[in-house]
Amino acid sequence: MIEVRDLSKRYGDRAAIQSLNFTVRKGEVVGFLGPNGAGKSTTMKILTGYMAPTSGEVKVAGLDVFEDPIGVKRRIGYLPETPPVYFDMHVKDYLIFVANLKGVDRAKVGQMANTALEKTGLQDVRNRLIGNLSKGFRQRVGLAQALVADPEILILDEPTVGLDPKQMSEIRQLILQLKGQHTIVLSTHILSEVQASCDKVIIINQGKIVAEDSLADLTRRMSGGGHIVTLKLRRPQDLIESGLLQVTGVVAVKRVGVQLEVECQGDQLGVEQTVEKIAAFVVGQGAGLLELKVQALALEDIFIKLTSTDASA
Amino acid sequence: MRAIFTIAGKDLKNLLKSPIFYVIGGLCAVIWSNSYIRVLLKFVETSMLQGPQSGMNLQRDVFTPHISLVNLLLIFVIPALTMRLLAEEKRQRTYDLLLTSPITSTQIVLGKFLAGVAAVAILILISLLYPLVTFGVANFPLLPLFSAYFGLLLVATCYVAVGIFASSLTESVVLSVIMALIFNIMLWFIGQGAEGGEGVNKILEHLAIAQHFFNFIMGSIKLKSLVFFLSVVGLFVFLTQRVVESSRWR
Repeated sequence: MIEVRDLSKRYGDRAAIQSLNFTVRKGEVVGFLGPNGAGKSTTMKILTGYMAPTSGEVKVAGLDVFEDPIGVKRRIGYLPETPPVYFDMHVKDYLIFVANLKGVDRAKVGQMANTALEKTGLQDVRNRLIGNLSKGFRQRVGLAQALVADPEILILDEPTVGLDPKQMSEIRQLILQLKGQHTIVLSTHILSEVQASCDKVIIINQGKIVAEDSLADLTRRMSGGGHIVTLKLRRPQDLIESGLLQVTGVVAVKRVGVQLEVECQGDQLGVEQTVEKIAAFVVGQGAGLLELKVQALALEDIFIKLTSTDASA
Repeated sequence: MRAIFTIAGKDLKNLLKSPIFYVIGGLCAVIWSNSYIRVLLKFVETSMLQGPQSGMNLQRDVFTPHISLVNLLLIFVIPALTMRLLAEEKRQRTYDLLLTSPITSTQIVLGKFLAGVAAVAILILISLLYPLVTFGVANFPLLPLFSAYFGLLLVATCYVAVGIFASSLTESVVLSVIMALIFNIMLWFIGQGAEGGEGVNKILEHLAIAQHFFNFIMGSIKLKSLVFFLSVVGLFVFLTQRVVESSRWR
């Protein structure tokens, strides 16, 4: 559905993105992940035909973005970082305006606007001024705007940024509902968002792709079956830290406040044995074990691993 | 075509909903009424005292000063109407919506231009009421009046094109007004250099907006004047289109 080849964009001397390559298949939900300033928005703006790249090629539904920008734009619904809404317009009028702008069949404009209102749960505010709505609702109006022409592809630039946790989860629910009807590319720097809604993750850092994989594969590959054992001790001592390192399967020990974080390697069975040994060791030392927790390496850790300076894993 | 009218419709509605339009319309009406009555009364007085040999003429002695005043106000008022057309879109980030919609920059600019022209045409129609009311009590040929008003509409269209161009250059509506004003005044000052009629002056004379406008006011629609106004409008609309388009490759 979307093919990106050797895409680069420079702002003056600074390279915002450098030779990106990726593809998005029809129906996929792809999360674009990266720290602030990694080049997520720039990439998305190029995909939508909003701006031209310095070099490279983008094909959307088989059409080149630069040879047939109008055709591409017809197939894309785009929600920029700031929802592009007119504060002095009513919600319904605004959606009708956008539908007309996107060239929706004249007879269907009203119906499409209503469908978009329904999908985003905006029926109750349809006759209110956008300027009077809360930020979460404005974001929804922005989403409704992207949806109104029923495009094949949705490009959502940080759809939940600046919302409160409840609104965030509502927007996420909405994205989940849209899954299957559209191919969705969404960018974010919030990891749980990717975990909640994406099939595939593209992690981008300093303008380069550092990882591109399905969520499950990425987790497996990056953690290499690794687990973190968190220990809470009554009497933490340096002796215990150095002692733990001697236990087979333990790779690293880190003290975080009153807790010890022990990183272990190995398959499921191996890790279980290691955990057992760790517990036995700590209890044997009389350190007063209060709490022990085993976790697989989370996306968050992978993300930090990949985006910290020399990340070429 | 549809995209143009969609944008034009939205922006015209927006202009007509804003208080600025009514404040401007009201103030203009007050100023025009005041001056028109004075000029008309003076005309009546002089022609009563001196009779037909006074050589007074409604078109020259009443309508021309009225239209000049309308023009003078429009120079200042039109920038205030056009200031938001593109600058506000940029400030509100709705520019992104326009640029990612399946429409061309030309359609965006033409839509905005049409909205501006329509709003200004309403103001001009208000000012046309005065001579038309006079027609109810005096008999005079209408065609020269319409020629003059056609000229006025063309000049105003130039101001709209200039205003949109100024609006495309900045995110700030204040800057947009100031720039449009400066451009408008510059259009009139080109004629200042035309005195003498030798060499460069000869060229400037053809570029002087006053000269062309004068033809229309005198009731003669000249092709070269028509071409002049359409060129000015075309130039600024084209420049605006380039500015909008440039955001795609910047």
